[in-house]
Amino acid sequence: MGMNPLENFRMAFESLWGNKLRSFLALLGIVIGVFAVTAMISLGQMATAGITQDLEAVAGRSIFVQPNFNEGQDFSSAPIREEDLQALQALPVTVIPQLFTSIQYESKPGERRSMQLQGTPGDLPKLDPTNKIARGRYFTDLEARGGLAVAVLSDRAAKDLFPGREAVGQVARLYYPGGARIDLTVVGVLEPPSGIFGGFGSSATVYTPIQLIWNTSPTARRGEYAFVILPLKKGADAQQVTRQVQRIFESRYGKGKYQVQSTESFQGTLRSVTLILQALLGAIAGLSLLVGGIGIMNIMLVSVTERTREIGLRKALGATSGQIRQQFLIEAVVLTLVGGLLGVVLAAGLLLLITATVPFFKVYILSPTTVFLALAVSALVGLFFGVWPAARAAALDPIEALRYE
Amino acid sequence: MTPVVEMRGVTKVYRSGSSTRTVEVHALSGVDLVIYPGEYVALMGPSGSGKSTLMHIIGLLDSPTEGQYSLGGEPVRGLGEAQLARIRNQRVGFVFQAFFLLPRLTALHNVALPLVYRGLPAAERLKRARKALESVGLGDRLDHLPSELSGGQKQRVAIARALVQEPDLLLADEPTGNLDSKSSDEIMELFDALHRQGKTIVMVTHEPDVGARAKRIVRLRDGKVADGGMA
Repeated sequence: MGMNPLENFRMAFESLWGNKLRSFLALLGIVIGVFAVTAMISLGQMATAGITQDLEAVAGRSIFVQPNFNEGQDFSSAPIREEDLQALQALPVTVIPQLFTSIQYESKPGERRSMQLQGTPGDLPKLDPTNKIARGRYFTDLEARGGLAVAVLSDRAAKDLFPGREAVGQVARLYYPGGARIDLTVVGVLEPPSGIFGGFGSSATVYTPIQLIWNTSPTARRGEYAFVILPLKKGADAQQVTRQVQRIFESRYGKGKYQVQSTESFQGTLRSVTLILQALLGAIAGLSLLVGGIGIMNIMLVSVTERTREIGLRKALGATSGQIRQQFLIEAVVLTLVGGLLGVVLAAGLLLLITATVPFFKVYILSPTTVFLALAVSALVGLFFGVWPAARAAALDPIEALRYE
Repeated sequence: MTPVVEMRGVTKVYRSGSSTRTVEVHALSGVDLVIYPGEYVALMGPSGSGKSTLMHIIGLLDSPTEGQYSLGGEPVRGLGEAQLARIRNQRVGFVFQAFFLLPRLTALHNVALPLVYRGLPAAERLKRARKALESVGLGDRLDHLPSELSGGQKQRVAIARALVQEPDLLLADEPTGNLDSKSSDEIMELFDALHRQGKTIVMVTHEPDVGARAKRIVRLRDGKVADGGMA
């Protein structure tokens, strides 16, 4: 004896279906709540993935070493030296030392503007694939070692120096702040960087052999570099290699003079920032679930009052208080579950739309965990906010209930 | 033969009011009532005579303050709420003045409703419900909603719902109170037929011509059985 619990689910559906408009309005709050929570969490995940991808496109998996500006160091007090590079060669990284200095060009006769002159080894795109040639070529290793007067321009620099003209093949006339002039033959132009970090790399930069800067700059000292980029070789562990690089510089110069950072640590920071944002937005969205839950409770209380006679009848026909309680609890849970399901479907639709239309969101993420959590939470909301109305229904005296008009 | 209803000295007192001044209402005082299987009994009396209270106690919707009551030979004193619900489901078939059909369920599903609480599989419930509806002459109205039925038909659906339980006792509360005279006659003829089939019927009514069709009349006055308590 005793009824099949599935029976209550069937009855719940029948009763909710019989009151379509009200059921729909009641679960609207849950739909919006679950929709908001699911969309917030997924958008957060998609944003993190987008940022990580953009960062990799701009910086790859690399370690950077530069003077520790936080500790008051600069390029002249803490330069990176040839013997440091030699020590780094032992690690699973490509060693790309770089140098930069300010340079000026004549934008109009008599008017000079600044841009950056950056010294690099030859064939940079081969060493660090995040640099891509758009037109022409990069200067070769041989040209770099020889300190030839060649240059590759960033997209911005090409536009500034040769507005409306093809830069490759032209001669760029540049001046050091002291006045000394260099003429560099442009051999190539780089692709503008992509993604939201494109802005960081879109400065006007002229790339030229390190040797040339040492030969011509009044300030640069031969054998000293400003910073070094260390793209990790395949399979290398970023954290481990970062610590090894740190140890090399600390053993040579002591703590605090150089700053060693990896793109993975940037990513970690970004991830924790987006996680905090996600939690915050999720909590705000969660509030709407609470409001939705109160809506469910309200509608269930109305439903209990309205169906007083039905409850009385069911009791007269042999339903126990437990069975009545179960019936109303299940109705509340079915209501919120259906709402939750609709909310997830709506969120999935929105996320698809966003991935299709907003370039920043490249990957569509709706993890099974998120879906499961959304549904579990909506069921719990139904259970929690259904308890009181169900208890009221169960406690009804059948005689009073049957007399109720 | 075991009586269906056996009451000895049943008293019902309702208390109300504050802790300092309670008001006691004696709805029933010392009722003795025995009803045997196959009997057709009318419970009559003016309003306030306690006939509703007596019906609720017979149907296990209420319990006596004092006295003994056995339903189908089973003493009900001290039984819990769930046990009372189970006995109600198995032994008592209610028929109400206002029919009390669930408006969104078809006649067939309304009739099958009590069997839900017996844990019977759906197919078996519907099979029995169909048979019960056919037995009250509504075999062609299975899929009608209550709103699509006349008053007389609604009451017949309600009677079928009571019959499907195969109860020891049919307990009807003013079953013709909401019906016109033609429908009333039909319903009363149905009760006559059920009586001929051997069903035990207790009918609460204040209409003399309805009560006259019963084989025994139990008259209540001021919470006491004035007449007809013993067979």
